[in-house]
Amino acid sequence: MPQRPTSSLAACVWIPLFPLRCEEARREGLATHPTALLAPDLSRKLWQVSPLARHTGVRPGMTVSQAIGLCPTLRLCEPDPVHYDERFARLLSELNEISPVIESGELGLAYLGTDGLEGIYGTPGRIVEVIKRTMERWYVGTSEAGSPFHRSIFPSFRLGWGLGKFTAWVAASRAKSGEAIVVPPGGERKFLSVQPVAVLPLDPDTHRRLRQLGIRTLGALAALPEEAVTAQFGAAGRQLWRLAAGHTVEPVVGRNAPEPIVAALTFFTPVGERDLLERALDQLIARALKHPRRIGWRVQAVRLRADLESWGGDEDGGRGAACCAPTNRSWLVTALFKDPTADAARIAAPLRTRLEQAPPPGAVERLVLELTAFAPGTAELQLFARDAVAAARAGQRRALESAAREIQQRIKRSCLYHVIEVQPWSRLPERRYALIDFEP
Amino acid sequence: MVAPSRAPLRADRLRALNVPQPVAVECDVEDRPQTVGDVTVATVLESWRIDDEWWRQSITRCYHEVILDGGRRVVLFEDVATGEWFAQMP
Repeated sequence: MPQRPTSSLAACVWIPLFPLRCEEARREGLATHPTALLAPDLSRKLWQVSPLARHTGVRPGMTVSQAIGLCPTLRLCEPDPVHYDERFARLLSELNEISPVIESGELGLAYLGTDGLEGIYGTPGRIVEVIKRTMERWYVGTSEAGSPFHRSIFPSFRLGWGLGKFTAWVAASRAKSGEAIVVPPGGERKFLSVQPVAVLPLDPDTHRRLRQLGIRTLGALAALPEEAVTAQFGAAGRQLWRLAAGHTVEPVVGRNAPEPIVAALTFFTPVGERDLLERALDQLIARALKHPRRIGWRVQAVRLRADLESWGGDEDGGRGAACCAPTNRSWLVTALFKDPTADAARIAAPLRTRLEQAPPPGAVERLVLELTAFAPGTAELQLFARDAVAAARAGQRRALESAAREIQQRIKRSCLYHVIEVQPWSRLPERRYALIDFEP
Repeated sequence: MVAPSRAPLRADRLRALNVPQPVAVECDVEDRPQTVGDVTVATVLESWRIDDEWWRQSITRCYHEVILDGGRRVVLFEDVATGEWFAQMP
């Protein structure tokens, strides 16, 4: 398996309330009203709440009736997780144009590895500017109308840059909307020391205990002896102390995203019965497993998504809320296999469980199965995978050649070299290897 | 037109890698590096000597692999013929 690229210097891109922002971007007028997004399950509770709705007392986790009671003008949106996932994938793809090392977190949170980018873009401030421009380009692409109105709710992102993911994340979380905070190398400790302890990945109990001990900032935590914090909070406490003191530098770990194997089924009439969906799922798994690119590989991650029958807002109108115009609704589940498998029944098992526990909140028009990550099969199976490996290598070579041509056009001279052996046996180190122009 | 696959390498397109960089080194009484520029040598890991190419222009170098203060590992050598010091990547 190819090694994943890493980078110590990190830029963090954070778009709070990403799904809600996606809805605001595609529906004019939504951003100026108190809005809430329903959870993508059957609970009918609120998932995300806009700041305007929050001012009226509406909170995530409330039922629709509680929320309407507090805010009669609340606009409710049905969730469309496939749309949010696609938008986020497009954002990652745009950011990938800046850096090859991209790590995604939750929806709306991404890290870019920036090691070596100063040679292309210059100072960290310039790198951040390039990211900002890319975000704007992505946002204009996201807004379906692309009208000035849509630009008016831009920017909603925050940027942070620093050594390690934690520093970059804290910087992004403290940045104002549409702006960036750059923490210069060496300045991490000073920057972190004044930040509240809430920026740490704390469970509520630890947060409460820290408050009771009068520890409000990372500086106050880092001022304590490491052993004392470890004795009080265990191994997790030690990790928190090291983060607070700026001793932990978590690198950005790039992803190796293979092209997914997709199998889809469109129903003539929308299907709501679970039995039918399970049968369709079995068909899709069998079809995906037969794909030539899958041969010799076991499946490590799988995604099942469904386009749901469009649904108007009349039902909620009766409850007093001004409902959004009907849009595409969708349903999405993912499953990761600790033990990768090529067995159809084992792939189906977690998806069947999700279909049972959190079924699609509507009739399904189209069901799509994607095999998104793979692990090598046994040695015998790998013999059959050699064609796939050769094809992947040819694809990488094509991508490399295209990138080399682009760099040559942009910089007007070759900046890429091959390392070749000259006298590898020489006792003089400078005689062993040399660089030669890489010409695609 | 496709270039012949057995076209010879052009020497002018080659760029040397790991070229020795001149540095200022101070040694102790046993001729072991003590400081490199302004940085103190923390440890000398290994020392060795190379005598090569005696049949044309003789190359004689005394190598020292050292760890500098701050943890950086460097290979230093003294050109015995000229007394100059150079640094190289390990």
